[in-house]
Amino acid sequence: MKAVRGKYFFGGVHPHDRKALSSASPLETMPLPEEVAISTSQSLGKPAEPIVEVGAYVKAGELIAKASGPISSDVFASLSGTVEAVREEPGANGVNETFIVIKSDGKDEKAYLPPLSSPSAEEIKARIKDAGIVGLGGAGFPTAVKVAPKTPVDTLILNGAECEPYLTCDHRLMLEKTDEIVRGAGYIAKALGVENIIIGIEGNKPDCIQKFEPYDNIKVVILKKQYPMGGEKQLIYVTTGRKVGLGKLPADSGVVVQNVATAFAVCEAVELGKPLFERVVTVSGEAVNTPKNIWVRLGTKVQSVVDFCGGEKSNPKKVVQGGPMTGLALASYDVYTHKTTSGILLMSPEEAACEEPTPCLNCGKCADVCPMKLMPMNTAFYAAAGDFDAAAKYGGTLACIECGACEYICPAKRPLIQAIRKTKAELRKKK
Amino acid sequence: MDNTVVISTPPHVKSKRTTRGIMGDVAIALLPAAIAGIVFFGWQALVIEIVSVLACVATEFCYYFIANGGFAKKCKNAGKVCKKWLHQFDLTSVVTGLILALILPSTAKWYEVLIGGIFAIAIVKMFFGGTGKNLVNPASAARVFMFLSFSLTTYVAAKIGPIMLESELYTGATNLSGHLLTAQSTAMHPIDLLVGTGVAGCIGETCKAAIIIGYIYLVVRKVIKWWQPVLFLGLFGFTAVLLSGFAMESYKFDMSLFLPHIMSGGVMFAAVFMFTDYVTSPKCVWGQLFYYAVGAILLALLRYFTKIEVASFVILIMNLFVPLIDRYFIRKPFGYIKEKKAKEGK
Repeated sequence: MKAVRGKYFFGGVHPHDRKALSSASPLETMPLPEEVAISTSQSLGKPAEPIVEVGAYVKAGELIAKASGPISSDVFASLSGTVEAVREEPGANGVNETFIVIKSDGKDEKAYLPPLSSPSAEEIKARIKDAGIVGLGGAGFPTAVKVAPKTPVDTLILNGAECEPYLTCDHRLMLEKTDEIVRGAGYIAKALGVENIIIGIEGNKPDCIQKFEPYDNIKVVILKKQYPMGGEKQLIYVTTGRKVGLGKLPADSGVVVQNVATAFAVCEAVELGKPLFERVVTVSGEAVNTPKNIWVRLGTKVQSVVDFCGGEKSNPKKVVQGGPMTGLALASYDVYTHKTTSGILLMSPEEAACEEPTPCLNCGKCADVCPMKLMPMNTAFYAAAGDFDAAAKYGGTLACIECGACEYICPAKRPLIQAIRKTKAELRKKK
Repeated sequence: MDNTVVISTPPHVKSKRTTRGIMGDVAIALLPAAIAGIVFFGWQALVIEIVSVLACVATEFCYYFIANGGFAKKCKNAGKVCKKWLHQFDLTSVVTGLILALILPSTAKWYEVLIGGIFAIAIVKMFFGGTGKNLVNPASAARVFMFLSFSLTTYVAAKIGPIMLESELYTGATNLSGHLLTAQSTAMHPIDLLVGTGVAGCIGETCKAAIIIGYIYLVVRKVIKWWQPVLFLGLFGFTAVLLSGFAMESYKFDMSLFLPHIMSGGVMFAAVFMFTDYVTSPKCVWGQLFYYAVGAILLALLRYFTKIEVASFVILIMNLFVPLIDRYFIRKPFGYIKEKKAKEGK
């Protein structure tokens, strides 16, 4: 359908996107790594339970860890070989995770689920669960839970905003796999029982908008370039005008949001029976030799991903897993990719912000840009004083989506997100 | 990757704007008014501006030096402390000094200015914790302090006479006490008021055109929001016109007094540079609306009854209410559901 323009949302910032670094390089497949270490904590909720023994032979796509609990997802082997070890060690964020280490036999034999032809809604739902699909936008919420909402929904929104600077993995995927994404969206819509499909794409990707316009069953909405446009609540507001209440799920407003990469994964899971064991990762930044968008197997060492992209051009100041606004700063390359790793960024000293914080000026810019209309300066103020209840009361911390817009704009470079996370953690502890 | 990589919470990219940059912008916005002051009031104005800025910066440095142990261990760390001071120096004291100089009449003695500058920085700002922690605007507090200590109410007219012929030359009193509030003498032409020619007043407050240039610069650089001074001046002018009707023989609502009102005295300067001070104004938009509205009405009322320029007093009073305003004006988050509705929903 002909593209229409989306609304604006309150606040937001306009960081330099630097997408040109990698947006022109087509998707490439990374050669098989010699060894992968797959974490069992691949989604929100509890980690999955390992079900393979050390020494067992597994094929790519074979179930190696079973979901435990409702908000958890299955984990699959990402290449064929023998299980070397099941060990516990600190993950990228410093928290202990269980890793299943598989040594490749170089053959890359596949063990897919049986493909489905013209499946029913129930079959699709079951397949999404069996393929271990999670939201590939970053949060890693299991898709199986999302496609089984408790309230009736009437709209499916595909998130093609990719508002994070640097990242181009969704951009390339939308360009090269348009058909699959639309078919995947169709399967999700069928599982949900909705007719109305909307895709929101930021205006800085006109090529993607053009690609999606010929499809009749999908409404294209051009989004203004504004961060965090891809935030779930913001995206729903700009595309449909609906507001999601505090503490409510999008489904309560009759909407389900899925990332375009998730739709692609659903398409492959249904048509090929392929479980989720690889994804597109953007490797970018001024400090990497050749920025690329590559297919990476789950559990590949970050070191080998960087090596595949030509290694370091200069010494990076910061290495970030994910996007620069919400991603995780890495301390070493000895960590492994996850289902939610959308990017690996090697940032030069010019790009990475590492300034000393200066006193808060009370300028209110953080509140002006907050897309949730919160008051981050109050959270920071009360959290520094140790009064976390007041921080939540006067700062509205619990509604925070941690998009990072406030800290981005802060002229005093105050660590606002840190204060917000601290407040949230302290309040969780109290409960 | 070597071990110099930085680990922190996101975001890993930040805007280029810094406190120093914003304060530099404010200082640049003040320059037209400062230059106009020198043109109108001669070398005395220049002396006052230089003394004021130097006094403020020097006071800040001395306080920092003492507070950070510059004298400890027989001044062993003096060099280090100086370097640290230079690193954290954010131009706030320059802005304070400049504003203070511009709201003084050119008859102020240099030692009075020196004492005022020291008072502004040492007592009003640094004693309360330095940048961002002061309760009231240092410049207006120092202005009030100087007013009470040295009187400083003798205003001389600008050296350049009125360019519109019907204007009269005032000496010894501002346009404000001349005609607007007592309705005794003839009015000055609005163009003279705008340019400041022939107007008696403070160094930076006479040339409204220079202030407007500063306002436009601040808005373009996104330091202040465009509606803040506009709301303030609009509401102030309206209230003042409403009140000045009572000073006439029979009550008359005369909107032609609107422009003379907002272009007399220090209102426009206060609205653009002093009310908009980040540190001492409310945090959220609704609080700011309330703050500007109440400030404007209060200023109009006080000016009507006291017959003198009271902008600095009003700023002080409003500043003290800011913590209270911030407590009551808290924004509702996006998607907030009213408690009543939430109960009905259940």
